[in-house]
Amino acid sequence: MKISYNWLSEYVAHEYSPEDLAHALTMSGLEVEEILHLGPSLDGVFVGRVVSVRPHPNADRLTLCDIDLGTGELIPIVCGAPNVAADQRVPVATIGTHLIIDDKVLKIKKSKIRGQTSMGMICAEDELGLSDDHSGIMVLSENAVIGEPLLDYMEREGKKLNDTVLDIAITPNRADATSHIGVARDVSALQNVPLKRPVITIPSDGGETTQRIKVDIECPDMCRRYAAMIVTGIKVGPSPAWLKQRLEAIELRSINNVVDATNYVMNECGQPLHAFDYDRIAEQRIVVRESVKNEEFTTLDGKKHLLPEGVVLICDGERPVAIGGIMGGENSEVDETTSNVLIEGAWFCPSRTRKSARALGMSTDASYRFERGVDTDSQAWATTRVAALIAELGGGSVTPGIVDAHPHPLTTTRVDLRVARVPKILGIRIPRRDILRILTSLGFDPQEACDTISCTVPSYRPDIHLEIDLIEEIARIYGFRQIKAQQSAPLPVSVPVTRPIDLLRERVHAYLNGHGFREIYTNSLLPDEQALQFSQAVTAADYPPVRTLNAVSRSMATLRPSLLPGMLNVMQHNANHGRRALRFYELGHVFHLSGHEAAFIENYSEYEVLLFGISGPVRPQSWDGSIPLADFFDIKGDVEKLLSLLNLDFLQMEPCVEPTDITAHHITLSVNKKWIGTIARLSDEIQAAYDLPDPVFFATFNWTRLALICEEQPAAVYSPVPRYPVVERDIAMVVDSQQPVGAMINKIREAGRKLLKNVDIFDIYTGKGIAPGKKSVAFSLRFGANRTLRDQEIDHVVQIIVTTLSTQFDAELRA
Amino acid sequence: METNLEYLKTVAATFSEEIAGAELDTPAKSEEFRIRFLGQRRGVIPKLFKTIPDLPKQDRRSAGQLLNALRKEAQTALESAIEQYRVKVSNASDIDLTLPGRRSQWAGSRHPITLALAKITDIFKHMGFAIAEGPEIEDDWHNFSALNFPADHPARDMQDTLFVEEPGEGRAGAMMRTHTSPVQIRTMMAGEPPFRLIAPGRVFRNEAITYKSYCLFHQVEGLVVDQGVTMADLKHTLSGFARAFFGDEVKMRFRPSYFPFTEPSGEVDIWWDLPDRPEGGRWMEILGSGMVHPNVLEAVGIDSERYTGYAFGMGIERPAMLRYGIDDIRIFYENDVRFLAQF
Repeated sequence: MKISYNWLSEYVAHEYSPEDLAHALTMSGLEVEEILHLGPSLDGVFVGRVVSVRPHPNADRLTLCDIDLGTGELIPIVCGAPNVAADQRVPVATIGTHLIIDDKVLKIKKSKIRGQTSMGMICAEDELGLSDDHSGIMVLSENAVIGEPLLDYMEREGKKLNDTVLDIAITPNRADATSHIGVARDVSALQNVPLKRPVITIPSDGGETTQRIKVDIECPDMCRRYAAMIVTGIKVGPSPAWLKQRLEAIELRSINNVVDATNYVMNECGQPLHAFDYDRIAEQRIVVRESVKNEEFTTLDGKKHLLPEGVVLICDGERPVAIGGIMGGENSEVDETTSNVLIEGAWFCPSRTRKSARALGMSTDASYRFERGVDTDSQAWATTRVAALIAELGGGSVTPGIVDAHPHPLTTTRVDLRVARVPKILGIRIPRRDILRILTSLGFDPQEACDTISCTVPSYRPDIHLEIDLIEEIARIYGFRQIKAQQSAPLPVSVPVTRPIDLLRERVHAYLNGHGFREIYTNSLLPDEQALQFSQAVTAADYPPVRTLNAVSRSMATLRPSLLPGMLNVMQHNANHGRRALRFYELGHVFHLSGHEAAFIENYSEYEVLLFGISGPVRPQSWDGSIPLADFFDIKGDVEKLLSLLNLDFLQMEPCVEPTDITAHHITLSVNKKWIGTIARLSDEIQAAYDLPDPVFFATFNWTRLALICEEQPAAVYSPVPRYPVVERDIAMVVDSQQPVGAMINKIREAGRKLLKNVDIFDIYTGKGIAPGKKSVAFSLRFGANRTLRDQEIDHVVQIIVTTLSTQFDAELRA
Repeated sequence: METNLEYLKTVAATFSEEIAGAELDTPAKSEEFRIRFLGQRRGVIPKLFKTIPDLPKQDRRSAGQLLNALRKEAQTALESAIEQYRVKVSNASDIDLTLPGRRSQWAGSRHPITLALAKITDIFKHMGFAIAEGPEIEDDWHNFSALNFPADHPARDMQDTLFVEEPGEGRAGAMMRTHTSPVQIRTMMAGEPPFRLIAPGRVFRNEAITYKSYCLFHQVEGLVVDQGVTMADLKHTLSGFARAFFGDEVKMRFRPSYFPFTEPSGEVDIWWDLPDRPEGGRWMEILGSGMVHPNVLEAVGIDSERYTGYAFGMGIERPAMLRYGIDDIRIFYENDVRFLAQF
């Protein structure tokens, strides 16, 4: 919302400079986002007197002038204007001045023109940006003081050349501040000076106007009030300079005197107005009704609309002529042939205006104001004001009387303020006289009772309903800076304890950072096909992903069902930029329709996921050996270490060598058959689709569930550290080469019972000395107990283990 | 085995010679030596000790002395060998100390948003705030209605909402939360005052992606509800935060604003020095705040006469961009390692 400083100053006699005004408004709730200075820059332009004029020796059209700038010496200037003459007072641009002529910057320099020195420029009005006049140099009156800045002279002459425009970000509650008078009201409250609203005599309802136009409101909730006046015999034409200047300052294009007048009054008082060509209104009748579905209407911008149901339409005796509160129609538009206009000043329902404007994809200066809530009592005032202005500008006459249709009587709201409540909210005591002064200047007509102040809500403040609204009004005008920060605060009774999930997150961050993983943040929104492709990637569940309904682009169509595509995008990006070693992780929410997870919002399942992935060399280059590429057992080892860190070694691991759409092979981790996570190698097809040179391995967890399981673990209890030596034994078993080793380890653990503390594999061998189709697996077994173990005891257990492996896996002890 | 003192003396003499002549110039040879003479299970000296109880009583003392001396010889030989070996290694002059160290792994890192979020939550934790979280898909009631956003009110336009498809018919529309404020509602619904919490999280706006806007960003929301809470407390918390986050010298201002769920509402700007600009800097909005609107308290069943409260919310990306001098928000979500490695 643009507010002109000069225009605003017509309504309130304040003492702010433009910058101070911007600051004061910002600090009282109307945030000024930008300060724009308008008007010509006359820096370096001074009043000079032409002392003498001589012909230029080398050019017929040029003259040599001597100029007195009050400096004590005369300055030579070569001039080309026909009207220059001795003793004139003229504007002189001195050396160093920047003039803007036809959008180009001209810097005045000392120069030689056809051999004659020129030390400045005598200016025409257009060269100073004062008008389009280029017929000759500007000649000033006798009042001009030689040597004074031109700007001072102009202001003394009563010509305001400069203006400052404040661009205000109007918050949605401040419907009242969408006009110059509205903003001026805040200024009057801030400066404690009266608001000067133009004095208008509103005709009483009736008169000749009511014979020439009839208004029927069929939907009084949507249109509470409709004022109409008629101006006849006008000539539509360009607006005068002052009006153009006002509108152009706030970046409105001048159209013609009628439209400009409506825009002017709207920006003065906040009431949107519309002018119809009266002679194009059938049956001299206005009917306000709601649209039925699929009515067609062409607005004055030439666009044809197919209307939804419930749009407020302004109709004449035959057809719609405007969309109420949004835009007029092409069929009744004012143009240069118009001589009689019908003026509409109405009130339209904010929520309906917003709904219709959104449905039609339109936002206009009128809808902007109606959506926020226009003053319910400004229609007759504004209509009268604009009728008079149009009559003045177009040379017509205002038809006596007014139609002021308002089926529902106007109501006023009263809100009581308990004085004692103010410090309870604001934390400061504001003197009662200040409260009364502020409420009075904002138009609340405060009436004092003993402990309360009773206020009448002015019709221009539809946002005020409650006591708290009044307290805010008082606070913003009194000034937030007056509220002093508390110097100390009481300590809460219950000291918040860091949640287990936050502690867990911290440990996982530290673990992954220590293992060379970099955290990434990827978009929660994916293209639909990518979301579909990965929707069952890792959960092994078949729930459809969640689609968005109104995304601004196809790339944000669907919520991510998995973090994997995001990470693959990141791997691809970094691979494209020459990085081979890729180690990333992300913690983030994923989404499915319906669900297997307790949902916050019914029918949507949402939970947090931890994903980490690797591709490329397994560790940094070194000078003493080559570095292998990461493989499945690198990621598996990372997972095992992480689970061990979190005391979750008991998770079940279910291997699967069958490929899926996404994975080449994978391991499923679960607890009590509930999916917790997956460790996998990405399929070659997808790896290729993302242009990744090396195999990709990843591990993904339902973090929400994992954290819950961690939380449910019993708190750690100390078990004594064994003081007795451990004993190590190695055995190598020859088995079928297809035999999975995991099952053997499990059997060894069972057979080794309490004495066996640990099983590791230190070699897997095929080749010389081993029969074809067989492999030798070398286990390192570690035994211990709370006493010194005897050799015979251990020999016995080892024997049991060997026997178990022999019977279960047809294994032989390697000689 | 035949055992008497004389026999022991002979054996000890033989071993003593062997010990004296042993060449212990590598760690492997030393270990072999240790096992042969001193090993707990098979070492010859411990084995000899085990024979002492079989000797006649009067010889046991001398045998003990003899074997102790022998053990001492073996230990001394071993220690000096190890010592020698150690000296030899640490004195080696052909080691190139300028070679780069062996790195078992690259450096990992946390995302700058995680770091900024941690810094912010850390400050509030020290001020006694607990942490709460909520879902990113929300319904209209939690995201808007309970927060005093009227239906069809322009306040809803302040936040371009991204709606999601509804599986069932006739259900209220679900949406991506536009702010973390619904966590306030969920927390207040689940408990009784007093409340003192912050809620960090990801929020969504249905906007095109440009250098200055992204379809999602991160927020931290704060809520305090108790008896006797006023705007002076709010100012205290906010200025304490600004000083902790931006430094004690920070210049801040607190100006009125509008949010449906707080009243009075205010925004905090901090002055950011920009030496290139004629004004020398500019005010940057960092957070919105206010006293919890009585309608919000009533919506969750809290007596707004008895309890008052304040709430605040701030974006994470914007202050992070200010701090690090980042001019394009998209770089946070591109995750280029050359970017991630800088934090």
